[in-house]
Amino acid sequence: MPLVTAYHRPASLDEALDLLSAPKRVALGGGTTLNADRELSDLEAVDLQSLGLDGIAAAEGGWVRIGATVTLDAVRRCELLPDSLRELARLEQPSTLRTLATVGGLVARASAESLLLAGLLAHDARVELAGPPSDLSLAELLAAGLPRGSLITAVTVDPSGCTATARTGRTPADVPIVAAYGRRTDGFVTMALTGVGGHPVLVDVYDPTAGLEPAEDFRGSREYRLHLAATLTARAMAELYP
Amino acid sequence: MTIDVTFELNGAPVTVDVEPHHTLRETLRRLGMFSVHYGSDSGETGAAAILYDGRLASSDVILAASADGHRVTTVESLNVSPDLHPVQTAFVAVGAFQSGYSAGAMILGTLALLEENADPSEAEIRDMLSGILDRETAYVKPVEAVKRAAAVLRGEDTEPFAPLVLEPLTDGYRPAPAGAGGEIPDAPQSVPRLVPSREVPDMAVVGKPEVKVDAVRLAKGNPAFTDDIEPRGMLYAKVLRSPHAHARILGIDDSKARAVPGVHAVLHYGNTPRVKYASGGQSWPNPHPYDQVSFDDRVRHVGDRVAAVAAETVEAAEEAMRLIDVEYEVLPAVFDERFAMDPDAPKVHDEDDTTHICDPQRNLVHHMEAQRGDVDAQLASAPHVFEQTFRVHQVQQCPIEPHISMAWLDSDERMVVRTATQVPFHTRRMLAPLIDMEIKDIRVIKPRIGGGFGAKQEMLIEDIVAHLAIATRRPVRLELDRAEEFYASRTRHPQTITFRTAVDDDGRLLAQDMRLIGNTGPYGTHGFTVQIVSGLRGLTSYNAASKRFDCHVVYTNIPVPGAYRGYGAPQAEFALEAHMEDIARALDLDPIEFKRRNWVKVGDEMDIAPHLGERAVAEEELDEYPKIMSSGIEECVAQGMREMDWARRNDAAWKAPADRPNIRRGLGFAFCMHGTAIPFLDMGGCSIKLNDDGSFNMLIGATDLGTGADTVIGQIAAEVLGVPLDDIKVYSSDTDMTPFDTGAYASSTTYISGTAALRAAEAVRERLKARAAMLLEVDEPCTIELRDRRAYAADGRSVTLEEIALDSLHWQEQEQIMGTASHVSPDCPPPFAAQFAEVEVDVDTGQVTVTKLVMAVDCGVAINPVTASGQVEGGMIQALGYAHCEEIVLDGDGRMVNPSFGPYKIYRADEMPDTVVYLVQTMEDSGPFGAKAVAEIPKDGVAPAVRNAILDATGVAINDLPFTPERVWAALQAES
Repeated sequence: MPLVTAYHRPASLDEALDLLSAPKRVALGGGTTLNADRELSDLEAVDLQSLGLDGIAAAEGGWVRIGATVTLDAVRRCELLPDSLRELARLEQPSTLRTLATVGGLVARASAESLLLAGLLAHDARVELAGPPSDLSLAELLAAGLPRGSLITAVTVDPSGCTATARTGRTPADVPIVAAYGRRTDGFVTMALTGVGGHPVLVDVYDPTAGLEPAEDFRGSREYRLHLAATLTARAMAELYP
Repeated sequence: MTIDVTFELNGAPVTVDVEPHHTLRETLRRLGMFSVHYGSDSGETGAAAILYDGRLASSDVILAASADGHRVTTVESLNVSPDLHPVQTAFVAVGAFQSGYSAGAMILGTLALLEENADPSEAEIRDMLSGILDRETAYVKPVEAVKRAAAVLRGEDTEPFAPLVLEPLTDGYRPAPAGAGGEIPDAPQSVPRLVPSREVPDMAVVGKPEVKVDAVRLAKGNPAFTDDIEPRGMLYAKVLRSPHAHARILGIDDSKARAVPGVHAVLHYGNTPRVKYASGGQSWPNPHPYDQVSFDDRVRHVGDRVAAVAAETVEAAEEAMRLIDVEYEVLPAVFDERFAMDPDAPKVHDEDDTTHICDPQRNLVHHMEAQRGDVDAQLASAPHVFEQTFRVHQVQQCPIEPHISMAWLDSDERMVVRTATQVPFHTRRMLAPLIDMEIKDIRVIKPRIGGGFGAKQEMLIEDIVAHLAIATRRPVRLELDRAEEFYASRTRHPQTITFRTAVDDDGRLLAQDMRLIGNTGPYGTHGFTVQIVSGLRGLTSYNAASKRFDCHVVYTNIPVPGAYRGYGAPQAEFALEAHMEDIARALDLDPIEFKRRNWVKVGDEMDIAPHLGERAVAEEELDEYPKIMSSGIEECVAQGMREMDWARRNDAAWKAPADRPNIRRGLGFAFCMHGTAIPFLDMGGCSIKLNDDGSFNMLIGATDLGTGADTVIGQIAAEVLGVPLDDIKVYSSDTDMTPFDTGAYASSTTYISGTAALRAAEAVRERLKARAAMLLEVDEPCTIELRDRRAYAADGRSVTLEEIALDSLHWQEQEQIMGTASHVSPDCPPPFAAQFAEVEVDVDTGQVTVTKLVMAVDCGVAINPVTASGQVEGGMIQALGYAHCEEIVLDGDGRMVNPSFGPYKIYRADEMPDTVVYLVQTMEDSGPFGAKAVAEIPKDGVAPAVRNAILDATGVAINDLPFTPERVWAALQAES
């Protein structure tokens, strides 16, 4: 647990943004990342739980709008979303943490290994921000980072299409070393990979390793990750086009 | 700044003052919810899981302030009467708890799941359990418990949980005849398959699936563990640890730390006596060298102790730690045992006051040699000689309860240490000189332990809390966090093992030569004995006329290795069983047949065993070599082959499924042989006394880590005394109260402490018979029989044990009927096992998926088949982690890069292979009611069986652990 020196629970977005404009204040979603980090110190937590961002609803054009404080467990249970995406939410965290971890926290953390984030990317996710209000694609946000002074309020996804997942890990439920999540809509495929960059990325299915510069660690060298990127993309494609 | 927080706790509102940084876990424990346990700060162990607004959630990562307005439920909510809730009852009935450290979380998760879905699938159950890491059960029996609870809550009848009794497939000595076996037994995998021996009589309590004696307290989450008391005025300790793998401390300035409000003591080399010791919890005199001191001016691994602080709060202690100014002279370090003896390797111990290092200039702690026959001659003349080198890695025991100790001076100024230890008596003895107190002035109490697996066979932190308690005259508590548990407690020794084996044309071994370099890290604790066990296990499993063990144990700067369940055997058996497999393939022999031709059988000598170990003797000093007196290996192999459908090894369509072109399947086998206790060394004591109502108090020094030792030893006494297990009230262990016991290690507890209990019970039985004869006016007490809480005369007349108790305590010729006994054994009867593994290998990615593990084990008579099978299930999955996914990874500076669960991967409930256990009975005459050991042998065979299954699937032999995807992929690439 980091050394949190003050706790705030704003009742409105404006209040939250105002609180977060001060230094050393951080947004607190489910706490699974922030509260687990013992290296942090001298922080003030701004708890987002009372902002009313915890709803999932059908949106215009058949899309689904997921509030920023919706938990991964709620995503797993949501019948508006495709089974494949719900399964990624299940895989993202074990049972005792997915009931706390939030979609907003997932996006803000932008973990390179996040399966669900890859899934959201492949489903053309857009991210709604407050302060100032804006709406940008998840891919843009991951590439540019969360704009300073902004707060994620929702993620919208297009649930349509058929999907395929291919992943490689040490064990069946391990965080994959590399994973591919593909979505086919009207003959067009969107393919997202984890484990090959600083965050999940969309790749060209015909040249999935182009431009990738995976960081190596003890689970996978650069060469191995590139091999997996190509292999798993091909495997997902084969499933999308049986 | 404190905050008033109000939430609903177990149905009632509570308001509590919290600091902004307080977690809900800390707050709940402050409110007396002791079922909520610490496993880590990041919540991934699930030991502190609660229901948060009805959903299972780790309270480690919830700020207490965030809980304001929420609904919180802990398992204490069920404890409204002495009775158990049906969910608790289900967990107890199937033996789902070993240590029970995460019992509350499992029960709460079950409640939430069943409230939502009365008939969950197994996948849904496993998903619920996915957030509760269990290092003990392999989740087999917890899953069964959830199913059973669901059935009960649906109003269905359930059968008592009991083993499936099977007919033997062999005559006990020869292989099963061709075609023997028939259908694979159909039963849930949680049900142990029991193959009885005709030599074993049916008994009333022994051999029965009795409920554990501590089950109720665990199911209720009652305060039972070290941390579940809070002495008034307790201080919190923290340890400043080295950031360097090797450095000299040139100076420490603790003035700023001492000035932090609430800090009471800061200890380091400058203000603590320099007393040399070896930290391994072993019998007196601990194996040399004594190469540690409580605080040194030299650090030898990242995480080594530098200083310790005691303060009013954890936060103050941490703040003080940050303010200790340490000046280091960083020294070069060495990590790989293969280079530690190089002339230019850094010297890990060059201090003057450590003696008995074999060659400090070469970092050589020990050099052990043992030989029978003429190995070199055999190797020179044999028709076939094979040589292979294997490398095994460093892993951690990962008890979900980290090391925790507290110490205080009692009203008599005696030191009381309440600690999670496997070795309370060794700890007391070893602690005394470090704190300059006499043994008689120290009391060590072992409460329930949340798993140990060898990590707690160590005096690891007890000296720190004792020093601080003396310095502050206040109770002091120290708990390691998860990262410290990884890099600052104990681990398994990495080794480099080379086997050379000479074989004749008939496939019989002529000679085996085992060379081993063991990496004992910066300290020698257990370094001698672990490598000795490697030699024992590597060279006693198979017969050969000539054998040689040549072992170098070296210092390096890795986190400290020590005892870990299996204790050198898993390393050696990986190398041995892989080597034997490859020899069989090279000679075009069936691997099981080749191994059978050579493995030791009843009557064979364990020919190199007496020449190894703490009590090693020379050949000329020996009257005779110990022999194998019981072995059920043939039955184990037969049952395991049937369960695995072993013929699939020759089924090309199964091995390369047409619909999954990237998958290859394979089956692997490993022969396993372990030991049962250390002969002439391990000793256990037991004391039993009769109470007014005919029940008994049993005091044992044995240390139940969750293994069920208290239950099993209680069953042994109950069988002798003719009472149900519930009439034996077991207390263990407390150095002031209970008899001596060497502790929980070396697969000794049932065999050694159980025999002590047997003898103590026999002594009590003799007095009971004498008193019964007096009451029944029978001349010959020996004709009296005890059963069903009564003493029967031959003519059928009887008195109750209560009547005997009241008479003997209150009425005539009063006496306290009691018995005390101890036991040490000259024997070390080996349990045997056949380990099988089924794998799928993705040949495009290298990912190995282990789909099934089967162990058929001859542990003699299983005193309790449910607890015994639980030991095997849990042991196999720990062993699978060793083989497959667990590894301590250090960077170039010796810093562990993965000191948390996840990066350090242990198996969780939703990714388990099928796991099936067979208990093949044999009658071991030297054991209590025929028992041998069962706790460690499950660790031995999984790695080689998986390795051999990968070989069967792909043709690729991999000689390094673990079988991670890139390693397997690289091997496949190299092969192709």
